[in-house]
Amino acid sequence: MNGMSKVVGIDLGTTNSLVAYVKDGVPAVIRDRNGDGLVPSVVSVAADDTIYVGREAQRRLLTDAKRTVYSVKRFMGKGREDVQAETGHFPFRVTGEAGGVLRIGVGDREFTPPEISAFILRELKHRAEAFFAEEGDLDPEVDRAVITVPAYFNDAQRTATRDAGRIAGLEVLRIINEPTAASLAYGLDKRHTGIIAVYDLGGGTFDISILRVEDGVFQVLSTNGDTHLGGDDIDVLLMDIVLAEMSSPSYGGPYVGPRFSGAADGAAGPAPEVIQEVRKAVIQAKWDLSEREETDIVITRSGTAEAVPYETERYERHITRAEFEALIQPIVDRTLAPCRQALADAGLEPSQIDEVVLVGGSTRIPLVGRAVASLFGRTPHSEQNPDEVVALGAAVQADILVTGNREMLLLDVTPLSLGIETMGGVTSKIILRNSTIPATGSEMFTTAVDSQTAVDIHVLQGERELVADNRSLARFKLRGIPPMPAGMPRVQVQFQIDANGILSVTAREQRTDVEQTIEVKPSYGLTDEEVERMLVESFEHAEADFTARLLIEARNEAEAVIQATEKSLRAPDFAEIEKSELAAGERQRIESVAAGLRMVLTSSDRETIQKWTQALNDATQHLAEVMLNRSVNAALAGRNVDSV
Amino acid sequence: MSLPSSAPTMQACQSCGAGAPLDAHFCPQCTKILPLPRQADYFGFLGVPRKLNLDAADLERRFRSLSRQFHPDYFYNATPVERRASLERSSCLNDAYRTLRQPGARIEYLLKIEGLAPNGSGEAARQVPPALLEEVFALNEELAEIRDLREGGSAAGEWQGRLERARQPIEARRVEHEAQLQELAARWDAAVDRGATDGERRAVLDALRDRFLERNYIANLLAGIERELNS
Repeated sequence: MNGMSKVVGIDLGTTNSLVAYVKDGVPAVIRDRNGDGLVPSVVSVAADDTIYVGREAQRRLLTDAKRTVYSVKRFMGKGREDVQAETGHFPFRVTGEAGGVLRIGVGDREFTPPEISAFILRELKHRAEAFFAEEGDLDPEVDRAVITVPAYFNDAQRTATRDAGRIAGLEVLRIINEPTAASLAYGLDKRHTGIIAVYDLGGGTFDISILRVEDGVFQVLSTNGDTHLGGDDIDVLLMDIVLAEMSSPSYGGPYVGPRFSGAADGAAGPAPEVIQEVRKAVIQAKWDLSEREETDIVITRSGTAEAVPYETERYERHITRAEFEALIQPIVDRTLAPCRQALADAGLEPSQIDEVVLVGGSTRIPLVGRAVASLFGRTPHSEQNPDEVVALGAAVQADILVTGNREMLLLDVTPLSLGIETMGGVTSKIILRNSTIPATGSEMFTTAVDSQTAVDIHVLQGERELVADNRSLARFKLRGIPPMPAGMPRVQVQFQIDANGILSVTAREQRTDVEQTIEVKPSYGLTDEEVERMLVESFEHAEADFTARLLIEARNEAEAVIQATEKSLRAPDFAEIEKSELAAGERQRIESVAAGLRMVLTSSDRETIQKWTQALNDATQHLAEVMLNRSVNAALAGRNVDSV
Repeated sequence: MSLPSSAPTMQACQSCGAGAPLDAHFCPQCTKILPLPRQADYFGFLGVPRKLNLDAADLERRFRSLSRQFHPDYFYNATPVERRASLERSSCLNDAYRTLRQPGARIEYLLKIEGLAPNGSGEAARQVPPALLEEVFALNEELAEIRDLREGGSAAGEWQGRLERARQPIEARRVEHEAQLQELAARWDAAVDRGATDGERRAVLDALRDRFLERNYIANLLAGIERELNS
């Protein structure tokens, strides 16, 4: 272990993220001091550019929502036009040019989704490094990781995830699919043989994967899903109801605005912090209803910013599990068609599935468990914590990669067919969906006019006939074709999908055996140069982040000294002390230094804060000694009495 | 510029320079994984004879065993040359298994490596095979009439029966073709086993190709009728 940098498995989730590692062959989630393994996938950028990640960022959703980003995974590998319908749900701005990578606007700064994800990854990296350091590891640095993605993520979404890792300073050893990772973690307990279905309903994505497990080989037979379906959608349904009721005249709420889901940019509506307060309350209700038959959704004004634009002191609504289930039935139903398609693609009937495994926080909802049980005709497994099992599997895969442990092998598939644009806007498929990866496909190209030296190739992913209905991955330009009469060149283009599910392309002119140069323009991805630049920027910001951390520490210390001083000045015997022990004007001096420190406390000048903190320490030193002596004397006096 | 007239039978190991048989996966000298030769064929790659009746369970065992030998997961700490070779061999293995596991794809692949590419996506596949001309003509006439009935608002019961009756001779043809393909496959395998002459092999392959193209054409026809029935 020592002398080698650590490698970890990371579940970069829509709602929560986790980091895990393998010790002596057993995977474990890395937790903070309170035993908390989950890092909420929330990033908040304060007005002074301080970056908060995790629980602190989640708290800031209630005080500074517009500067706080959550569910960024829904935006990975997307263009602005892809997410138009849902940007109204989020407190932050979604911008960017049409046909390119979207940007998330926070204050006057803009971030790409991989940059936001990189903040989360860096937090996980720090968490793991702190853990290893505490364990007494000589080299606690973590610079390599396996990161999981939904099985149904396309090439652009996978590439964006890998870019996020690079920006966070991690070498991404492998991108693996979440349901497959979960099956690895399950496979550790028992020596499974048979056919397993993994049903993974998370915060923002849904996957179904069907695997055959034999001799330690976990072979995915088929996969399907929806990268825009999860617990988030359930939250929005509940929020719609609550916000509509809160604004209705019968509730007496003066806030009247467009319904939450219809809120257009700039339209009058509830403050983002209020919406987040509602979101928090409905999520709590959702959790409650997995345990109980009924609950109350309660929203009070306390805890929100003062500028709450509604005057209802308290909103309360009773909700039963039956009501909740009727509401979310359509969402649960949407998961069934992908399940049937995956079965059909694997050539299997539901009765041929030996075991069904539930993964993802949303599978805690009893209705989800019942729907899965009735589709497959058997009770699904959920022995492992559905929030943690994916990270554990990622750690197992990371261990396989670095140790060469050959006990288990994962053979995954590409979820979507890969094709190229041909005449008339039709897609010609080159690698079919559910092909085991790595996989290759090739296509012969030629020229249309004499002496043509370049050919354009448009690569797509999806199952539809027409180019317009599929996802554009990239445009490649083949250059350097030797000049020949039209139709003579035979350029063989090889498409390679690697074990990460990510595409690369090479080309060779067969008559001359000349390798062609290829210029790639990803449709919704960052170029290598952009990723490099972001990596450099992140180092610069890491410096800023470090500075911010020092500033926070200085403020905390200053506050502690102020509090201790105030406590002394308010002590019952202070008046007596001042009269008998303190010099004339000593109290006034303490008070004025404390006031001065309070004034500089909000500045971002760390040194000034530290100077004033020191000054207050100096000013109160005599007082502190006097008080210490008095308490020691009192204690001694007490003992003397006792010992007499 | 000129292509080699005879295929090479040996390859060179890029790690130690020793010679290795063309269908070896690892160098017999230094045991390092070998780069994939450009002319790898799926049968040789999986270590099975170039035959059409293959044991599915045996094929799967070979696939799993070779996966455990080649997979990029096990070459993370290897040299770039070995990593490249592992990616190439794993890809080839997956492509080979996917192709040879399906009887139809297996025939198509055999025809291709034997130089009788059916040219699946080209004009040849769209043209009516001569042997089917009469039936296709009759079927198209019947389909046109049925369509008229439907568009004229006839009850589904009236035209569905006719469509089903039109389907039957085509379905019978499909069954007939499957049987013929199986028989030809057995003949091919026997020819391989007894080391038949090129001429004999070629005759079997020609017949195989014709039946195969016809079968694909019939499958498309049936799929078309299926769509009409369900629409």
